[in-house]
Amino acid sequence: MALLTYSSTIPFSSSSSSTSLSSRRFPATLFRTHVSVPLNPWRFRSRLPRPHAPLRAKATLTVDSPATGDASSRNGSPRVLLQVKDLKAVIKESGQEILRGVNLTIHEGEVHAIMGKNGSGKSTFSKVLVGHQDYDVTGGSVLFKDQNLLEMEPEERSHVGLFMSFQIPVEIPGVSNFDFLHMAFNARRKNHGLPPVEPLEFYSLVTPKVASLNMNPKFLDRNVNEGFSGGEKKRNEILQLAVLEADLAILDEIDSGLDVDALQDVANAVNGLLTPNNSVLIITHYQRLLDYINPSYVHIMEEGMIVKTELIAHPRALMHHLKSLLAVLLADYHCPPLKRV
Amino acid sequence: MSCCSSSVPFAPPPTLPPLRRRCRAAALTLPTTARAPRSAAVRAALSDPFVLEIAEKLEDSLSSSDAAASPLPLQKLRDSASQSLLSKRWPSTKDEPFRFTNLSFLRSSLLLPVPSPTIPLDPALDSPSPHLLAIVDGHVAPSLSRLAALPSGVFAGSVSALPPGPTLDRVLTALAEGFGDGDLFWDLNGVGAPDMAVIFVPAGVRVVDEPVHVQICYSEGGEVGSERLPVSSPRVLVVVEKGAEVAIVEEHLGIGGSAERCYWANSVMEILIGEGGKVVHSYVQRQSVNAAHIKWTFARQETSSVYELIEVSTGGRLSRHNLHIQQLGPDTVTELSAFHVCQNNQTQDLHSTLILDHPRGYSRQLHKCIVSHSSGHAVFDGNIRVNRFAQQTDAGQLTRTLLLAPRAAANVKPNLQIVADDVKCSHGAAISDLEEDQLFYFQTRGIDLTTARQALIFSFGSEVISRIPFEPIRKSVTSQLKHSLATQ
Ligand SMILES: Nc1ncnc2c1ncn2[C@@H]1O[C@H](COP(=O)(O)OP(=O)(O)OP(=O)(O)O)[C@@H](O)[C@H]1O
Ligand SMILES: [Mg+2]
Repeated sequence: MALLTYSSTIPFSSSSSSTSLSSRRFPATLFRTHVSVPLNPWRFRSRLPRPHAPLRAKATLTVDSPATGDASSRNGSPRVLLQVKDLKAVIKESGQEILRGVNLTIHEGEVHAIMGKNGSGKSTFSKVLVGHQDYDVTGGSVLFKDQNLLEMEPEERSHVGLFMSFQIPVEIPGVSNFDFLHMAFNARRKNHGLPPVEPLEFYSLVTPKVASLNMNPKFLDRNVNEGFSGGEKKRNEILQLAVLEADLAILDEIDSGLDVDALQDVANAVNGLLTPNNSVLIITHYQRLLDYINPSYVHIMEEGMIVKTELIAHPRALMHHLKSLLAVLLADYHCPPLKRV
Repeated sequence: MSCCSSSVPFAPPPTLPPLRRRCRAAALTLPTTARAPRSAAVRAALSDPFVLEIAEKLEDSLSSSDAAASPLPLQKLRDSASQSLLSKRWPSTKDEPFRFTNLSFLRSSLLLPVPSPTIPLDPALDSPSPHLLAIVDGHVAPSLSRLAALPSGVFAGSVSALPPGPTLDRVLTALAEGFGDGDLFWDLNGVGAPDMAVIFVPAGVRVVDEPVHVQICYSEGGEVGSERLPVSSPRVLVVVEKGAEVAIVEEHLGIGGSAERCYWANSVMEILIGEGGKVVHSYVQRQSVNAAHIKWTFARQETSSVYELIEVSTGGRLSRHNLHIQQLGPDTVTELSAFHVCQNNQTQDLHSTLILDHPRGYSRQLHKCIVSHSSGHAVFDGNIRVNRFAQQTDAGQLTRTLLLAPRAAANVKPNLQIVADDVKCSHGAAISDLEEDQLFYFQTRGIDLTTARQALIFSFGSEVISRIPFEPIRKSVTSQLKHSLATQ
């Protein structure tokens, strides 16, 4: 099995470097004929250069040989990470039903996207998954790694590997970003039976992650999200994801309010975190994020239900990718050389 | 210095008759000057027997330690206090200043003035600052203090150690100005103060990087439930001359066996800041949770002076801080912040008054309080008066209370009285529980609810604590608070 990797700069980003993570790849699913044997694009991730790698040729076709997959994928069937069946939820206060039977299955290593109109229940769905107190689950089931997620406290859901970046991250005055990350990191370690990490050691652990998100280290001293711009808040969410790591990251409108550079930083970071074993669920209104982080499935939510699921191998999606491939090739011939950041 | 020697006679003043006799005399003379029905009321007001009883006990305790030999400033203080005490009643909840603050704990206890302490007492007394002024049971304790490193001209110590001269004169004039708005507790302190600590910073001198640490300790305490309540009356006077600066850390605590015991601390700190002078006053109240702590802070600010107060009060079953700031000239800066914690069956009360009578004053007040016990009670009455000539005043006031237990109570009354018309004033009050969304945010990042609550409670107070300028004190307050939050 071989994966065809097309590396190039993204056509519409004039200022960014062509690091590997800004590269355009074909999702493996593109070449699949049926869904039951999904290939893991992320398996090859680690073999690609990390951010700030030397400038690569802008348009090359490389053939990557597959990495040695994990046990589950060697025998051909990746494990189910999240299984949501007929999930129904109401707003606790009013009893109003928001989720009216959501079904969704995510396997290890898959990238999914949920799109849908304002108010269709996307954020509610993700908040119910992480255990928000405003909602009551009135029906259905949620299994995460074969465990009943709905019986867990929110912090337990975090410890088993679920992460959600908030559409609107809350400000916490008086708690520094560094202390917050440190607490969260050590809480996770404690749960795993590991001794806490001292602040100094943690500092050296977290600063490279701050740098790779192109964040000013001063952000660590500032209070959590306090006075952050919209874009800074989103970067901060991804920083938390980078520090805590997760098997399933739900990114609720991580792209809204981001300019092109920020979007790319965030996408790079998310891509950099992907391994064959973890998965991402992206909630977005815009195609542009999906151009950076390529989903295998796109779901459409309407009035609290997933009404349509689209495979990225759909001819239209294939056409889309061919078009952008072409655009890149052409751009390469006609555009002035791109500057490195 | 503006002291004329004629007003300061060095001959011993004529000794006034004891309080008891003077009071009877006052009561007896009254019926002749007032009509009968009224006189009964006046007499009742004049001779609140409970007040008299305390005052007499205090007086007696001092005469036994030879009050006649007291230094002049103390004698003057006692005289004027016992005079003004005659018109004071024990306050009840019907009196506005004590509407929400119940003093029955004091009323029902057997009040006993503390005897002079036997010093040295507690070798554990120490300070991260090289300048330590120790006061034990109201007496300055030179053997426990450490003041050699102070710049020359700066005086810190007992008023009785102050030789005749301009500094003593200055102390006398400062005291002579008096304080018309003092209440019963102000006067009781004046009557009962066995000593007076003086901090004097001459013009232009700065004691800033390392503060004068005034440790006010209470070594006498009654057993919980015994109803014995030793009373002590520490008194401190701070005089900062023109262009001088001082950082002070005022700390109150029970020592020896008293860390958990019952006692009543009735203290006063008077501060006079000269033109262009600056006082940064950190006030840490960590009394026994079974103690009553009533304290006055009275500050006067001359032109262009700066007064910063950072209060952290965690101790005391009944804690009342009366803060009064009087502006004496234009362009003053006043920054007041307070953080109160009621983690037990306790009342934390701040009554503050800031009076602005001159143009271009700038003031900020932040009051924060946490009540995490179902019989805890927070009281805040913050009064800012912007009078007619205080044009272009910029005054802001904010109070925030967290009620973290069912039935926990808070009474907050921020109030601005504005007479001047060209001013910028703002105030706000909020009483709330911890934000659920913030707690949830912690949880989704794997931090359990208890830890999250502690972090949020702590961060609530850190807004005030972080203003303590001297790092070792800030750190010790921080760790003490963290510890007490964790053990709750
Ligand atoms: N806590 C709540 N209280 C009241 N109404 C709520 C609450 N949470 C969700 N809703 C309502 O439920 C519906 C779904 O909201 P949700 O935030 O899930 O939509 P969304 O799909 O994420 O929308 P958007 O694209 O605008 O982010 C909306 O009508 C919203 O007003
Ligand atoms: Mg949403």
